[in-house]
Amino acid sequence: MDDRPLMLSSFPRAIAHVDGDAFFTSVEQAIHPALKGKPVVTGKERGIIACASYEAKALGIKRGVSLWDARKICPELIVLPSDYETYSIFSKRMFDIMRRYTPEVEEYSIDEGFADLTGMRQVFRKSYRDIAADMQEAINLELDLTVSVGLSLTKSLAKIGSDFRKPNGMTAVAGKHIHILLQRVPLADVWGLGPNRVQLLQKYGLKTAWDYVCRDQEWIKRLLHKPGLEMWHELRGTAILPVSTDAWRPVASVSKSKTFSAPSNDRDYVYAKLVRNLESAFIKLRRHQMCAAEISVSLRRKDYGETGLGARLDRAVTLPREVIPVVRELFARLYIAEADYRATGVVLSRLTDDRTRQFNLFDNPACLEHARRTGELIEQINRRYGKHRIFLGTGLNLPAGEGNDRDESCWRKVNLLPGETARKRIRIPMLDLHV
Amino acid sequence: MPRKIDIAEKLSQLRAFYQQEGRAPSYAEMAELFGYASKAAAYGPVQKLTELGYLQKSANGRIVFTSKITSQISVLGTVQAGFPSPAEEELLDTMSLDEFLVARPEATYLLTVSGDSMIEAGIHPGDLVLVEKGGAPKAGDIVIAQVDGEWTMKYFGKDNAGVYLDPANPSYSRIRPKSSLTVGGIVRAVIRKYK
Repeated sequence: MDDRPLMLSSFPRAIAHVDGDAFFTSVEQAIHPALKGKPVVTGKERGIIACASYEAKALGIKRGVSLWDARKICPELIVLPSDYETYSIFSKRMFDIMRRYTPEVEEYSIDEGFADLTGMRQVFRKSYRDIAADMQEAINLELDLTVSVGLSLTKSLAKIGSDFRKPNGMTAVAGKHIHILLQRVPLADVWGLGPNRVQLLQKYGLKTAWDYVCRDQEWIKRLLHKPGLEMWHELRGTAILPVSTDAWRPVASVSKSKTFSAPSNDRDYVYAKLVRNLESAFIKLRRHQMCAAEISVSLRRKDYGETGLGARLDRAVTLPREVIPVVRELFARLYIAEADYRATGVVLSRLTDDRTRQFNLFDNPACLEHARRTGELIEQINRRYGKHRIFLGTGLNLPAGEGNDRDESCWRKVNLLPGETARKRIRIPMLDLHV
Repeated sequence: MPRKIDIAEKLSQLRAFYQQEGRAPSYAEMAELFGYASKAAAYGPVQKLTELGYLQKSANGRIVFTSKITSQISVLGTVQAGFPSPAEEELLDTMSLDEFLVARPEATYLLTVSGDSMIEAGIHPGDLVLVEKGGAPKAGDIVIAQVDGEWTMKYFGKDNAGVYLDPANPSYSRIRPKSSLTVGGIVRAVIRKYK
């Protein structure tokens, strides 16, 4: 073991990473206390496990496993449809609790976030570790679920920390102890090092995060460029990545794909399913006030063979109608009449902010403005009366009632209070208890 | 069932009348304007518009337009810029029913009551209670608790022998946990919605 510290100070910056333990199933166990201590998974509506409780994980049932395989391992497995509404409420509450301890909170994903605690010791008259522990305890008591917390000088180190002890763990790493942690962390556990980078680094004999930071920064920069260098600084305790309080937005792409209830070789049906995905992708895109300048579509055959084609657009678009001609052509090139298809998908990429969109020289702005307003109106109506209530005519080729199967009814949606509707419910989680 | 009066429609009809005639209509003219069979039917809209300050009644009982109708700027459906009205200012410091019922939004949950053990405390089967998690209960608080594996809602109490739970129903008796007691939350409010 190498005992040369990277720095002598403790917490020139203090960043906490809070990570929900098996978040979706923990929420389910919080609202259905009878499920505590039992193997529970969510994702019934997809046929694939979205989240597995620690009890299920102990049996070898993990995220991504098919339900069929999971039930073979554990016949008494409790399988629930996802209740994203309740998960979102819990997620929002978790970040609200974090914000009691610092205004600088980054909502990194539905179940994890960063909190910059630097300077808050004076306010709470406690050490950073104690503030982070208070935050963890408040989440535990008020949400009735556990989170793992990492506390260190940078986001990268905090993230390693929250992963280090799980569930309900707390790992605080002061500057003078970073070198001890890094020697115990394999490269694959470093945030931002994917399997490709890990393999590349292993070719040069690197095994742990410590090996990484001991390399010369020029060498790192040559091999992994700027992101690699940023990571090198982050792991040595110099914060490069800011804790960003902006609302989350997709950076690279928005995608939607959906498997049919049964494989089909009906051209109109397959195309209608593709267009439906297109509409869903644009709904998501517009929710983040973004537009896309590239589109790709894919068709998956019954034998799981997949073909796809993409197109670069001459301007960024926000409406499905604007790209229909392109999509129709891409589809015509991909579709083979003899094949059976089981899924279609759409990816929108080269995303930019919608509010700063530029027209090109040959566009007709008046016409586009008209289309934009129509789009907004359709969106308003659909928000009020249900997704895809107003849709492109191609959708008429979909059988009626083939709705959004994400809506496989979770407990909350079948236990409506008087006055609640399928579209609108009280924004307070309901407990499943008999008292 | 009371008839619905479409104020916006009536106003535009009255404005059109004013533009043409330069005066307010009589009841008879108003009935014709609104498409009513009798003069009496116009009484309702007139009352409403008077309340809203679009019409006034002169000393001899005639209808007179106020500046809200005679002015060329339509105030309906638009928000006029300027200082907030005294009414809006007075409303700044009110609270919503949410704020009134929920003191700690991150820790509050809904629960539908199924049993009758708190019926004399006014909590009936089918009522909705707002349960707050994370706090320490005081004697006299109504709590949701798990006693020896069973969930229940009772008054929380403490004495020399330890913690106990009291029902508000003479057919049940005091519970003292044999092996375990977990407080799941404190009841902060009861909601009963009729229809």
